[in-house]
Amino acid sequence: MRPDQNDLDEEIRGHLALSVKERIERGEDPKAARLAALKEFGSVMLTRDSMRGVWRNRWLDMAEALGQDIRVALRSLWRAKGLVATVVVTLGLGIGANAAIFSVVRDVLLRPLVNRDEDRLIYIRQSAPGLGAENTTFSVPEIADFQSRVTTLSAFGDFSTIDFSMIGFGEPRMVKAGVVGGSFFDVMGLRPVLGRLLNAADDGPDAAGVAVLTYRFWTASLNGDPSVVGRTLRLGSRSATVVGVLEPSVPYPADTEIIANVVTSPHHLGATMVTGRTHRMTELFGRLAPGATLEAARAELADVHAAMMREHPEAYPAQAEMQLSATPLRDQITAPARTILLVLLATAGVVFVIACSNVANLILARAVRREGELAVRAALGASSGALRRTLLGESLVLCGAGAVLGVLLARPLVAVVARYAARFSVRALDVTVDASLLWVGAGLAAAAAVLLAYIPRLPSPQAPRGLGLASGSARLTPGTNRRLRVFAISQIALSFVLLAGAGMLVAALIALQAVNTGYNTRQVLALDVPAAVGDVSVQAIDFYQEMVQRIGELPGVEGVAVGTFVPWRDAGSFGPGFPFAVEGYTGANGEENPHARLRIVSPGFFAVLGVPMVTGRDFTAEDRRESELVVIVSQSVAQRLFPNGNAVNRKLWWTDPLFGKPQPRRIVGVVTDVDDENVVRGPALTIYHPFQQMGVAGRLFVHTSGDPYALVPPVRKIIRELSPNQPVERAATLEDVRAEVLAPERVNAFVFSGFAGVALLIAVVGVSGVLAFSVSARTREFGVRVAIGSTPRRLLVSVLSEGALIVAVGIVAGAGGGYAFARLAASYLENVRLPGALPILGAAAILAGAAVLASLMPAARASRVDVLQALRLE
Amino acid sequence: MAKKPDDRRLELLQGTLDMLILRTLQWGPQHGHGIGQAIRAQSDDLLKVETGSLYPALHRLEKRGWLKSEWDVSEANQRAKYYRLTATGKTQLSRERDRWSQLVNAIGRIMNPAPAGKE
Repeated sequence: MRPDQNDLDEEIRGHLALSVKERIERGEDPKAARLAALKEFGSVMLTRDSMRGVWRNRWLDMAEALGQDIRVALRSLWRAKGLVATVVVTLGLGIGANAAIFSVVRDVLLRPLVNRDEDRLIYIRQSAPGLGAENTTFSVPEIADFQSRVTTLSAFGDFSTIDFSMIGFGEPRMVKAGVVGGSFFDVMGLRPVLGRLLNAADDGPDAAGVAVLTYRFWTASLNGDPSVVGRTLRLGSRSATVVGVLEPSVPYPADTEIIANVVTSPHHLGATMVTGRTHRMTELFGRLAPGATLEAARAELADVHAAMMREHPEAYPAQAEMQLSATPLRDQITAPARTILLVLLATAGVVFVIACSNVANLILARAVRREGELAVRAALGASSGALRRTLLGESLVLCGAGAVLGVLLARPLVAVVARYAARFSVRALDVTVDASLLWVGAGLAAAAAVLLAYIPRLPSPQAPRGLGLASGSARLTPGTNRRLRVFAISQIALSFVLLAGAGMLVAALIALQAVNTGYNTRQVLALDVPAAVGDVSVQAIDFYQEMVQRIGELPGVEGVAVGTFVPWRDAGSFGPGFPFAVEGYTGANGEENPHARLRIVSPGFFAVLGVPMVTGRDFTAEDRRESELVVIVSQSVAQRLFPNGNAVNRKLWWTDPLFGKPQPRRIVGVVTDVDDENVVRGPALTIYHPFQQMGVAGRLFVHTSGDPYALVPPVRKIIRELSPNQPVERAATLEDVRAEVLAPERVNAFVFSGFAGVALLIAVVGVSGVLAFSVSARTREFGVRVAIGSTPRRLLVSVLSEGALIVAVGIVAGAGGGYAFARLAASYLENVRLPGALPILGAAAILAGAAVLASLMPAARASRVDVLQALRLE
Repeated sequence: MAKKPDDRRLELLQGTLDMLILRTLQWGPQHGHGIGQAIRAQSDDLLKVETGSLYPALHRLEKRGWLKSEWDVSEANQRAKYYRLTATGKTQLSRERDRWSQLVNAIGRIMNPAPAGKE
């Protein structure tokens, strides 16, 4: 319908042709006829314009004009490939990082769980801040109390974690298994992908042993084999039939391979478990009753908990300050990742701003060079809208290319960020890439394009500053110069904040790695050789003694010992410690018994791990079950409870009901403190028992003079010879265990250093670009200065000091802004820390050094200005 | 109304061009040049439509839906754009014709009862 340019032209041509033809037919001379027809017609251009004017539509016209401008922009940018490459790469990095992190944030923090009515699902936690225990979990009697008294929750689901040695899928090995009551899957609102899940009929001590496989285990280890349903597994001493496979869902509270009913775990059926109010090992979930709110449930749970504490004061020592909390399951699952992801998002945003401001600098410099062209157009009557559109065309092309690169980069980046975030939330493992990534990238690019088009100042048509500008030389106006500097300064300021933050993380990591753990970490190999806890049978003891002896005969082995606890790797698995009492020690009035960690070790344990004895003796093979009960204590125990005397030969006993009747044990030795729970050592009250008196332990430590990992195959062979079904797992030196524990810190430091590095690079390019531009625009000034006697050296210094000033102002602004931001953030987030002096000074030094380097090239160019050429420029 | 003979041509009244175009097309499709010629011939050369007004007017009427256009080859073997009256165009023509006769009537009543002298 809407005629295009050709259409209009042809219509007019047709008119003229008919008119000419008619005149010729009337007998006019062809040439004269042509002239007469044209004369009669009037202005072809005006007529055509008013014909087109009839069809004008504001938006279509603008789009058409913009398309025109984009074509012009493509041609003119083709001549500035260096600029285009810099801008596109810078924007691409900024857009890619943001789009990737946004995808992960959305999937980890915002996506609903697969659980049915997931917003009604809550997680209940008991904690004991007084003992430093964030999660004490619940005991069976406690859960029974909640079930009988709470009405705002329609049902409770319970989940406890236990290690089984599993036979049935390949080699015998240890698996982490969930043990759940019959209501668990119904409360969680999960469905099977194969077979069925567990229900009320599977609950209780008389049911048959059944287990459900988790989706990840089924797909990763069993290749999604549909024939698993019906297979029988051996779990420790019991057996269980696989009845189904769970749908993919967030494994919480623990990522297990199988989930079984209580009958598979003899421990769960024992009296300790069923009646011990302080035997806490079960996690608790609840579903809000119809109509009940989270607040109401919280209030009721708190009331019931308070009543329980009043009724059973012995199970809730005042010193423990036990508390109860209830959170929506999704919040609970995403909480550890929330802060880190939000910080990451903010960091990516800052990098994007730095990238944009750097690009703005480049565009601004380019616009100044084009001022002549724009001034001519303005003088010829181009509206400011048309000029803006020209600039918008260019920035759209640049940002569009940046967005394409960004989206291409974002796909692999999502995988990297997701793997990183998976350390904080299992949900990150399921992050997907979808079209919203494109939208985010396009949105960011459009925002950047509009921003960039509005940054350069337009030449005013009222006061065109002479056509001399059209000669092509750039001259810096004070206003433009100030803008360039403001952008450079903001880049420096933001980079400084990122560098200081990254510096803080790196400093913390270095401090963690430099910490002396008190162990010989390099030459000790730790292996899991699991056994049933508390097994003091002769066979079990013999097995371990035989194993220690035979491994000790291997070449290069300097010592072998058995323990219960691989430092750091097993952190938390023994709970927060147990109360004990000491002969002849009465605490101040009202003071509770002290708590200590319980560890079970074999003779030689301390020597193998490099922990020196302070006084007394090590355990020996003579410390048997039937001989005198003995213990070794850590230095902290000795100093705290026997401040004035020797601890050796004094007696102590556990007071926790778990240990039954208190049995006094004689202290035979004191060892230096080691902290096997925390990589950064704190004072640790630890009481060691000889394994013949407390049961075998399941962890093997081998001290070797050679390569520790070379010992793994012979050690495994020896153990298999002694017991073919014995799992042997997770061989690692203590050094590597520590590295694994520190991995999140290391990755944090690495990721933020990466961001800070990118920011630094962009900022350096920015400063260098501003100075280079300032130098090139002032070539004439420099020429004049040299001509009237200034030395090149002074020009060099003046440019360098210009750079130094930008950096100095940027660092001060960054420090001020960063401090203000940290204060602001601290009011919304927990754990906001300010970097120490060292990272701040380090960041400042790095920035200053980089900026001086960046200034050198433009400065050198200023000092080499050729006087004659410079003066001839105008 | 005595004028010099070479200046006897009349200026088109504001708003009448559309009506004249519609009226002209009532005899059948025609191209722009033909419409201009027809108006001129029908008015005994008294009315001459400027191309600068005619063509924008044609496009305006087409945009309103009163005309439809299509390319065709003219009797003189020249490709030209032919305009044709649409159904709504016909309604519009009768509406404009009514308004025009009312206007002529009204002005006539003012001008005729009191025959004035020369201006």
